[in-house]
Amino acid sequence: MAKTPAKTAVLIVDSDGQMAQGINTGKLTEKLSSGKDVVFCRILKYPLPESQAEQIKQELTEGICDRILWIGHFTGTQKRCLTETFVPAGLNPFLHGWCDLLDQGVLSDSQDRAIMEKKALTVIRMALARTRLLEALEPMELPASKSVLIVGAGVAGLNAAETLSQLGHKVHLVEQKSGVGGKVALLSRFYPRMCDPHCGIEVVLNALSASERVDIHTLTRVVETNGSPGNYTIRLEKAPRYVKTDLCTACGECLNVCPVEFDNGRGAIQDMPPFNTGNGLLKLLPGKTRAIHPAEPFPFPEAFVIERDRCPAGCQECEKVCPTGAIDLQDGSVSETVEAGAILVATGWDPFPLSQVTEYGYGVNPGVIGNLEMEQLLATFRVPHAPLSTFDLNKTEAVGFVQCAGSRDDRYLKYCSTVCCSGTLKQVMTLKQAYPDIRCYIFYNDIRSTGFDENLLRTVKMLDGVVFIPGFPAQVETNRATGKLSAVAEDTLSGREIKLELDLLVLAGGMQPSQSADQIAATLGLPRNQYGFFESHHQCRPEESQRTGIFVGGCAREPMNVAHSLESIHLAAMKALRFTMGTVHVEPAYPVVDKTKCDQCKRCVEDCPFSCFDYDEKGFPVPDLAKCRQCGNCMGVCPVIAISKRDCTIRQLSQQVETMGNSPFLDYEEPIILSFLCENDAAPAVRLAMEQGISVPPNVISIPVPCAGAVNNALLADALSLGIDGVLIAGCKEGHCHYVNGDQLVRKRSGDLKDKLETMMIEQERVRFVSLEIRDALKYADTVASYVADLKAIGPNPFKV
Amino acid sequence: MPPKVNLEKCDGCKAQDEPLCEQVCPGDLMTLNDNQQAYCRATRDCWDCMCCTKICPVGAIETTIPYQLGYYGAKLVPMMGTNSITWTSQDIHGKVERFRIKTRTEQD
Repeated sequence: MAKTPAKTAVLIVDSDGQMAQGINTGKLTEKLSSGKDVVFCRILKYPLPESQAEQIKQELTEGICDRILWIGHFTGTQKRCLTETFVPAGLNPFLHGWCDLLDQGVLSDSQDRAIMEKKALTVIRMALARTRLLEALEPMELPASKSVLIVGAGVAGLNAAETLSQLGHKVHLVEQKSGVGGKVALLSRFYPRMCDPHCGIEVVLNALSASERVDIHTLTRVVETNGSPGNYTIRLEKAPRYVKTDLCTACGECLNVCPVEFDNGRGAIQDMPPFNTGNGLLKLLPGKTRAIHPAEPFPFPEAFVIERDRCPAGCQECEKVCPTGAIDLQDGSVSETVEAGAILVATGWDPFPLSQVTEYGYGVNPGVIGNLEMEQLLATFRVPHAPLSTFDLNKTEAVGFVQCAGSRDDRYLKYCSTVCCSGTLKQVMTLKQAYPDIRCYIFYNDIRSTGFDENLLRTVKMLDGVVFIPGFPAQVETNRATGKLSAVAEDTLSGREIKLELDLLVLAGGMQPSQSADQIAATLGLPRNQYGFFESHHQCRPEESQRTGIFVGGCAREPMNVAHSLESIHLAAMKALRFTMGTVHVEPAYPVVDKTKCDQCKRCVEDCPFSCFDYDEKGFPVPDLAKCRQCGNCMGVCPVIAISKRDCTIRQLSQQVETMGNSPFLDYEEPIILSFLCENDAAPAVRLAMEQGISVPPNVISIPVPCAGAVNNALLADALSLGIDGVLIAGCKEGHCHYVNGDQLVRKRSGDLKDKLETMMIEQERVRFVSLEIRDALKYADTVASYVADLKAIGPNPFKV
Repeated sequence: MPPKVNLEKCDGCKAQDEPLCEQVCPGDLMTLNDNQQAYCRATRDCWDCMCCTKICPVGAIETTIPYQLGYYGAKLVPMMGTNSITWTSQDIHGKVERFRIKTRTEQD
């Protein structure tokens, strides 16, 4: 296919004549004017004088030139201004080439002027080679759904559903349990205001039930997702409830007749408030539940649910007694397909199983309970006249609290769950309010009541009969005679041994990812961090998962308190808006696969950090542009160089390398180095080095790439076979890559190339990887200097002419 | 002489249906073994075209030179650039020669 040759206008921007001091710009202009595909070359000042800008616009509209190569030094703002200036003249923003002489170290005045002039010419020729190949690029708008799927109807999911529905989105809220509310429904109080969490849930639920845009799917699991961000098709599977939600009035008649009463596994503490049935208050034995019971954990939807596997064969008692005919014992599971533009994961947390923490005899000593059980015990205050527990708090004299039970411990949870300290302080306050005579002992290592929670700590410290003991109980036993617990601990400050008689010992266990996270991770293909939480780039993009279009909030991301979990889910919801506004905007720089070259090896599919490749009907890989984050790792990994990012094609890169190899700017003995700089961290570090005047040897010329992982081995082979002495790849520090693992991918690949170099009897040292952080200007200078020294020691590249 | 696969490097093209060497081999001689690693299943049929050696993305394949061409010590190593192949040849006396050959797959 014959292409019309490019018509490049080369514009040298030399604002204060600084460039002219180091380089003979007149001679440069002369040389460039005769360059391939160059129509004219001018020296300008910044800001561009109106007349000159008008002239260039005129030339653009007349078709004298069709692209501009800017030479000089440009800040981001200047680049943007210059680009915008020529948009009215019809020049696409991607038809600007930029040759920053400062970044290449050419404007440094400490260097030899003759070398600098030669190097400037090489650098400009490289930029020219790239500019010739530039193409006009346009962004894309893909159609997208306006609905959102939220997985998990805990406090985070409920609140996100409310906000998103207020914004006009259709929300599908999926909950695996029979009722909504999640763990917060099990709490007695919120700190710091000490109000009832049920109140908060009720307010949101009122709003949600009034909204037509929210579908709450309880007893439902996400079993399959298809499609891409903006257009997910999600298959939900709804387990049978055996009670018709539209008919059940939650009168509770069935509770009186249900013959099955089973241990609900919550120890001796009962969490259900008594039910006002037609016959008065129905009291179940503590820790017992009937086979038919209200939705859990929060009774919404109001309809009851039957645990059918517990029903005796043929029993139809509830069906007989139900006044509204709501019972449907033949109910079956239903599959439903919904559409959504984005998915919010708010699967929350589970308490760490304290039975694993053997030290304190949880599960052996009846008085040892977990902090969630304590919450339920304290929650009985909601129904003040119904003592629901076997623990009679009226007879209780002393309660111990053990902080960090199973947390911050190599054997159990290695992290801090951040809420247990404040949680314990809250429990002490609640307890002391109702029973001022109970003595409380808090065993701790350090109290982490961060931020304003310090006020809680101050308040609790002021209370009578609250003792903080810096140390953990070493021995906890049940005294058979009194039925009380005896705990022996060491006060690590005074060194004294403390012996205590306790009625209750509350273990402040930590948070671990919810069990349902396993299933969600498998269904959505979401990677997780070492602790099992969903996490992508913790500091810059905390709400993102590693899959575009799927966002994470609340304790599914990391342990956090209720306030933080609401913040995080709203951040996630905001980011999800990009995919739920009817269209998805795709930046123009997406990758394209050249099908004439691709031989379907599928390496791009395997190595894409965001799993965004799919196959077309002929088996060719196709990037899903809504998922793609435009990192270019596919371009780097392709063994047949068939993939190119549109704004930084393989051909543009290889032409730059070739130009560099063919226009030497140093003597034969002096090594020349090509460095590929990751645009996220390494390129700013190099710019910093140059701006601060840090001395970098003149031997190096750099090419910025979107990610170090976008550097293809073929480019390294090009560089070495053209006589370039060394190739430096500057990527992020391990684990810091903005695109998950680009640095590791390129390290592995260049390692393979190094092995090949060895068989070619070429020194492996000619390819080097360095990790740079964004402020590593000095490290870059040192790296280049030592690389130059090393390359000098091993001698010139055998391909050098 | 047949291609020799470095089993420490070969990842079977990540266990795809057909690894790249299998796709390019004109005699359809390369295939995967039970460990999902490539091997040449009919070594006597190989005509040393070196396609597999050139295409292998991890550099795991080496073509040993038939003794009629170069006895022990001789080797020929290709390295693929974007639009060139670079050959390094070493004869039995250890003399090294290098060639860079442009491929004409791209029109300028």
